[in-house]
Amino acid sequence: MAFVKKLAFNLFAWGIVLAVAFPLFWMLVTSVKPAFELFRRPPTMLPETWTFEHYLHLIERTNFLTYFRNSVILSTTTTFVVVAIGTLGAYSLVRFRFRGRESLAFMVLFTYLLPSVVLIIPLYLLLVQIGLANNIFSLVIAYTTFALPYALWLLRSFMAGIPEDLESAALVDGASRMGAFVDVILPQLLPGIISTALFTFILSWNEYLYALVLVNSDDARPLTTGVMNMLVSSFNIEWSLLMAASVMMSVPLIIIFAFLQSYLTRGFGAGGVKG
Amino acid sequence: MAAVVFSNVRKEFGSFTAVHGLDLNIEEGEFVSLLGPSGCGKTTTLRMLAGLEFPNSGEIRIGDRIVNDLAPGQRDIAMVFQSYALYPHMSVAQNIAYPLKKRGVPAAEREKSVAATASLLQLTELLDRKPRQLSGGQQQRVALGRALVRDPKVFLLDEPLSNLDAKLRGYMRVELVELHRRLGRTMVYVTHDQLEAMTMSDRIAVMDGGKLQQFAPPTDVYAEPANRFVASFIGTPAMTMIDGELTEDAGAWTFNAEGLSMTVGPLSGQAKSGPACLGVRPENVSVGEGPIGAVVQVVEKTGHENIVFMQLPGGHRLTARAPAMQSWQPGEQVKVVLDASHVHIFGSGPRGDRWNRPAQSAAPSSAKATPQIIASKNTKADPKAEKAAS
Repeated sequence: MAFVKKLAFNLFAWGIVLAVAFPLFWMLVTSVKPAFELFRRPPTMLPETWTFEHYLHLIERTNFLTYFRNSVILSTTTTFVVVAIGTLGAYSLVRFRFRGRESLAFMVLFTYLLPSVVLIIPLYLLLVQIGLANNIFSLVIAYTTFALPYALWLLRSFMAGIPEDLESAALVDGASRMGAFVDVILPQLLPGIISTALFTFILSWNEYLYALVLVNSDDARPLTTGVMNMLVSSFNIEWSLLMAASVMMSVPLIIIFAFLQSYLTRGFGAGGVKG
Repeated sequence: MAAVVFSNVRKEFGSFTAVHGLDLNIEEGEFVSLLGPSGCGKTTTLRMLAGLEFPNSGEIRIGDRIVNDLAPGQRDIAMVFQSYALYPHMSVAQNIAYPLKKRGVPAAEREKSVAATASLLQLTELLDRKPRQLSGGQQQRVALGRALVRDPKVFLLDEPLSNLDAKLRGYMRVELVELHRRLGRTMVYVTHDQLEAMTMSDRIAVMDGGKLQQFAPPTDVYAEPANRFVASFIGTPAMTMIDGELTEDAGAWTFNAEGLSMTVGPLSGQAKSGPACLGVRPENVSVGEGPIGAVVQVVEKTGHENIVFMQLPGGHRLTARAPAMQSWQPGEQVKVVLDASHVHIFGSGPRGDRWNRPAQSAAPSSAKATPQIIASKNTKADPKAEKAAS
């Protein structure tokens, strides 16, 4: 009985793993198949002919690299802005006593009460008025507004876990407030900062809707809308190119994830318990 | 080296007043303990001195500087925290060197000072470790090292021994006193442990409810407590307190409570007839012969002496110290006498003033207070007890 139970559990678990992994596998395989092999029946599990022509095509004959560069700039900038504001904001929410501190912390979460579709038009008009329409930085601002509330709460719970005595000790030892923050608080906050940075980076790397509405020149498009626009039209989908693009879009995330995933889970755990 | 002066210092947190108009004159090179129960304002006082809290009014001086508006780093102080507050990501050496680094001491000089401090505190072999790899006692020494390395004017210690086990605490007490003697620096020490305050301090500032209750050498605090709070807070087992009536008859004062009546005095001009409280320390109560009848409830044997807990007919409790060879059974009827020259009379209320006339004008000397003086008090009481027993 115990054996059957174990077997059933294993089958179930592997079933889920396969269900999640298969599309990724198929994406990879499709991207290295020549176009004529794509729709063959029965389908070939592994390509009969291996080819990297789709990758070359994307890099040499399309705007892919521009989109990629835009996405990198966009996500990195957003991450830096969010981490910088989030850390200092969380510090002030935890360390300074001021009127309305708690209500402020809760008000920040209101952003999440509104569906993002509702905000998109006002935000667009606002950005047009300040002359940022069709600019990559309009997306930085938009993404910062989504990521910051969560970042603040996550960092706040990390910050609350750092004993105040540490900072007091640094002050007595002769550090300025900023000096104590850099020397003592930041190193302690590192796991929190890494999880926040990962969260923000992934969010801005994946975002589609706002990128579609706020940016429509090829120079400023990020990967998500750029690739869609280029390869998917009403009449045709360039499957091979699309899959090759998808692989290249996922690679940076997979690399980052592989290195930092332990921080990420730790961060979500901390946020869950204390936030 | 510097004196520390608090003048009418007041600190409020919202509607709560943590410290009410504190006046405190700490002399240069003195070891002063701020003693009191939790919430009495002692830690707030220390944090104001450190610059981690700012007073709402009043003035704090270190040496000849008013430090009210100075940042902690500009006050030339060092502090040891209850939690030690070692920087977890830095090695022991980096921890100790941090205050020097922040003051721009060159690296070579820094290294020398760290090495000297480490050898003073026997930390040399631990310099490369991280704080989490150290035992509690070792962490404590690193925290001390970080304070010592810079040779500040004033040392602030916030219950530094409370996280150590009893044996290590006793050892560190002696170490700290020795350190103070060697450095001759002003030290302000916050504790809720009366034993620490009594054994280490030149003077004790007893605080309660944000107010200074008494500021005097340990022996005076023990022998002539300023009020009922100080009297009951200092001393283990605690002073017996009996509420009753005080009456005056032509300059002679009599204290009456149920089951107890005795002439007391001389009292100061403050004394008046009416409700009052009689206090007597266990060593000033002799069991054996005497005018007062009592029933033994519990006898605690500590090995070198017995602590006898008794009840008077009126229901009041009374505690006595007795030599180890004397013992009684619970329920036994005994006769008791209180040493009239060591009986304290307090006004009514939890902080009623002491009404006894000062025995002699006890000059507050900054001489090192030693527990021996307290011990000699014990022996003064003991012969009577022995006489009574024989």
